[in-house]
Amino acid sequence: MKEKKPPESLVLGIDTGGTYTDGVLLEYNSHRIIAARKSLTTKRDFAIGIENVIKEIELEDPAAIQMVSISTTLATNAIAEGKGKRVALFLIGYDPDLIDSFDMGKRFATPHYFYIQGGHDLHGQEKHSLDLAGLLEQTKAIQRQVDAIAVSSYFSPRNPEHEIRAQKAIASICDLPIVLGQQLSTSLGSVERATTAALNASLLAVLQEFIIAVRRAMENRGIDAPLMVVRGDGTLMNDEFAARSPVETIHSGPAASAIGGRFLSQLDQALVLDVGGTTTDLALIQDGKVTVSEKGASVSGYQTAVKAANLLSIGLGGDSYITLDRSNHIAIGPERVVPLAFLSHQHKNVRERIKALAHQGWPAPGPRELEFWFLQREEANLEGLTDREQQVVKILRSGPKPASEVLKSLGLLDASQINLSTLWREEVVGKSGFTPTDILHIDGRHTPWDEEASRAALNVFCNYLNWDKNRFQKVFWELVTEKVIKAVLSFLTEKEIPGKDEPAHELANWFLDNSLQPNHQQLETQISLKIPLIGIGAPAEVMLEGTARTLNTELVLPPHYQVANAAGAVAGSVMVTEEILVYPHLTSDNLDVIGYYLQAREHREEIEELQEAVEAAKEQAKEGALSAALRSGAANPEVIVEVIQDGMDSYRIKARAVGKPRLEG
Amino acid sequence: MKLIKVDTEKAYQQLWEKITSLELAPGENLDVSTLADDLELSHASIEEALRLLVHDHLVKAPPRGLYVAELRLSDLEKISTIRLNLETLAAQQAARNATEDDLVILQTLCEEVAQDTQELFTLDQRFHQAIARAAHNNYLAETLERLYGLSKRLWFLALPYLDFLPSAVKSHVRLVEVIRAGEESLAIEIMHKHIEEFYLKIRGIIQDKDLIAE
Repeated sequence: MKEKKPPESLVLGIDTGGTYTDGVLLEYNSHRIIAARKSLTTKRDFAIGIENVIKEIELEDPAAIQMVSISTTLATNAIAEGKGKRVALFLIGYDPDLIDSFDMGKRFATPHYFYIQGGHDLHGQEKHSLDLAGLLEQTKAIQRQVDAIAVSSYFSPRNPEHEIRAQKAIASICDLPIVLGQQLSTSLGSVERATTAALNASLLAVLQEFIIAVRRAMENRGIDAPLMVVRGDGTLMNDEFAARSPVETIHSGPAASAIGGRFLSQLDQALVLDVGGTTTDLALIQDGKVTVSEKGASVSGYQTAVKAANLLSIGLGGDSYITLDRSNHIAIGPERVVPLAFLSHQHKNVRERIKALAHQGWPAPGPRELEFWFLQREEANLEGLTDREQQVVKILRSGPKPASEVLKSLGLLDASQINLSTLWREEVVGKSGFTPTDILHIDGRHTPWDEEASRAALNVFCNYLNWDKNRFQKVFWELVTEKVIKAVLSFLTEKEIPGKDEPAHELANWFLDNSLQPNHQQLETQISLKIPLIGIGAPAEVMLEGTARTLNTELVLPPHYQVANAAGAVAGSVMVTEEILVYPHLTSDNLDVIGYYLQAREHREEIEELQEAVEAAKEQAKEGALSAALRSGAANPEVIVEVIQDGMDSYRIKARAVGKPRLEG
Repeated sequence: MKLIKVDTEKAYQQLWEKITSLELAPGENLDVSTLADDLELSHASIEEALRLLVHDHLVKAPPRGLYVAELRLSDLEKISTIRLNLETLAAQQAARNATEDDLVILQTLCEEVAQDTQELFTLDQRFHQAIARAAHNNYLAETLERLYGLSKRLWFLALPYLDFLPSAVKSHVRLVEVIRAGEESLAIEIMHKHIEEFYLKIRGIIQDKDLIAE
């Protein structure tokens, strides 16, 4: 009898990183990767890069795809680059003097914040009546200057009444989208809740446009499947949920990498290092799970109340810019450029120009001469560019040019003399320079592009420094290893690495230096990592081997480690949490308890006995989480209910429903 | 979680705007592919949005193809009759049930000054929606909601010949006063006059200029 093949469940995972957009086609049950593709991330519109990846993966039958899942740095990038929408934040019942005295105003992630009278106290009782007329006056005054509104009321998780009344009133007089603090967080930290609401409001349109574009790209390719988005803790939410709580996608990319590393390696204890083009991201796997930060995700210095993986990101990747600093020490990153090998591969005259530089005699040209500018988009629209920017575009029409030459023809000495920000941001002009990827070409370890250009560029460095190539390579790799190890130490100890010349840390610095490059005659020091390293991303093998050796551990490169991030986008579970607060209802003099409130978001009920109230809350939270998880596409979700004490007689009942995505095969 | 998907919502809003402002003319054929390309949305979302617009009577779906619903004078008669009755009912119920919050909202809305005629219509619509909500009868509010789109098309048709809305805004101020005072019969009276005048004016222009068929 012929054995029947088990039905295949095909899923598509996509990760949009800072440099590359990766896609994998994967058979879900067997973890088998069927196809993997890479495309350049298009920062001006992430959907273009995603559409390219979907186009390039050969699909025999697009209709057989059962799920598409995406991790994206869109939210993180939009916040870092100030590309979010403009938000007005209403703070109901917040104390302006308190906020001012601690200078907390700048933590709100928007300059347009306004204090409105109102708010509740710890027991959910009204502290002040809500000044609705004042709120609407302020809305009228600001509505034409912003794109969205966020409202956070004091102790709103205990009693959201003022937020809800504010929302109804604002929606009656204008069409702007409105985000409420209690919709995103039940944590009582009022500043973090306000920041989370403001960031969510500023990202709403950004993520909605993204999801709409991805759905369109899927449709163009004939894929009709549920779309999932990775959260910052690596779990999945459906697209509709993501469109309404974009703030939860902060750090989704690195979280997906960590989950992908675990998924492909099957290791339960490991340190995951994802070496991308722009950054290297660290995450810790403990007991088979990615560790989650207790504090909540922070992004660009803003502290949110959103759960996210515990991560550390450093500006070191395969396409980090290698330059010399003022004292002629090698410096790597954090700026990311296009590797010279790649530019030369695409434009033949680049190699000749670098070779000419390498042969130039005294005075030897400096590495700064290796910076090339090139036109990234031929069809680029010149409207909206300054005169200077238009001149630059015209100069580059005939092909890539050294930056120094472009500046010279503009009559300038240094790039700091002109502002070309639109050219970079809109990706009209790109920058190319010497990178770790070039060094890999010279070593012959990764040579898809023009290694001759890379070699000539290295000669320019060596001539200038009067070093031989081996010395340069040795110093370079030591520097890479030092950077990664410092990040590992700082990540695992949660302590800062002291500066090189701080006398108070003399011994710590000696210890570190001697462990990295042993140079003491009698003392030997070592740093040993007790768990293996999982390397992810194309440059991981080469970039991390020194780190693994120095840390006396093994470097594990799981199959398809180059695209583990994209595999991680489909490997997570669908998760939904439901929280209910139980807290006492006090008499008006706040002295006696007359019952207990169950506050489930906007819904509140009262039960006399505490025990009964907690039981009822557990039951409701469980049911709520379960049905929401099923609606979000989880198969057989399991629910775990936690009861957390949250002050006197107050409890936070948290139900978490988790299940693998439901695939209909 | 809302039941409508984000892209359907966007498609619906944009198409509603185009149809009610007559940018998509009555009787015009609607092609899903063309609309999807114009609005940069998926075909699926355009199809779903069009289904919702069929439900709103703004799009017609005969056995084959879709087109923007025509405008007829008889529609004006039907719409004005039902709005006249429902808006007065809303005004009466608002005078009975309006909360402090409702009154603050209504007050804010009638103090707002529109910058152009487009905005004036939006403001007028918001005011009527707020009254319907102040009635605290969600079935009434939803029924009225569906009539605004149909009404807006008639208003847009007459728009080039109109100059009377500011006086209508004056009756808004008076209406808020009587709702605040709980004067139900006065609320009915003012609203009745307000709506009746509006349709009389529109009907006059449409017939005068012979803008639509019977």
